[in-house]
Amino acid sequence: MRRYETIYILRPTMSEDEVTAVIDNTNTILGADGGQMISLDKWGLRTLAYEIKKETQGYYVFSDYASDPANVTEMERKFRIDDSIMKYLTIKLADSIDEDGIAVARGEYEAAVVAAAKAAEETSSQEEEQTEKSPKDAKVATTEATANDVKVATTEATANDVKVAATETTA
Amino acid sequence: MLPKKRVFQRKRVCRFCTDKEVTINYKDPKTLRNFVTERGKIIPRRIYGTCATHQRQLCEAIKRARQIALLPYSGATQR
Repeated sequence: MRRYETIYILRPTMSEDEVTAVIDNTNTILGADGGQMISLDKWGLRTLAYEIKKETQGYYVFSDYASDPANVTEMERKFRIDDSIMKYLTIKLADSIDEDGIAVARGEYEAAVVAAAKAAEETSSQEEEQTEKSPKDAKVATTEATANDVKVATTEATANDVKVAATETTA
Repeated sequence: MLPKKRVFQRKRVCRFCTDKEVTINYKDPKTLRNFVTERGKIIPRRIYGTCATHQRQLCEAIKRARQIALLPYSGATQR
């Protein structure tokens, strides 16, 4: 059992049903001989950085799983035959993973999901807090602001340097 | 000699070593965008001052991101 992650890009014209059908197919291939899914994310439609098979957009699917190498080669063979899959990328994360490892990885994934949801909530609530700040907080805020300004100034300087250097190389 | 040198060479520190929150991940094209030129070339570490370890990880990540069309191989067709 090894741990892998795979990203595959589907054609943007596919309906939701077709997408789920493809995902189910690949999951059954990977599930053979005790392979297990750890997480599956549909990133949805994204613009591609370059055209693939004349398409400028693609439907990204990301999956993290534990499976045997034979299953992965089989999945990739099917991907190459299937016209709906434009591109795929498989990366080996670990050479061996046992039941405990899978459970831990699943827990980490769930924790990450919860944390992401919390972060999204906090950013929305922080905006509200900023409007209700007392004068004491305001003082703190100003000191923070100056510190931030200094930081920004330095980063700007470095960014400019890089730009100059980049233009030089292109010239 | 030392003070004179400082005028010309600004000390650059690896961004990933100083800021632990910035992680290198090929699935995160937004961060990786900062380390490629407008044309999509990887910026050499002599310019950004990235340490060898992180530059290696960065290169790997950028190349993976290119493979799965999160970053362009060349050109700025979309930005």
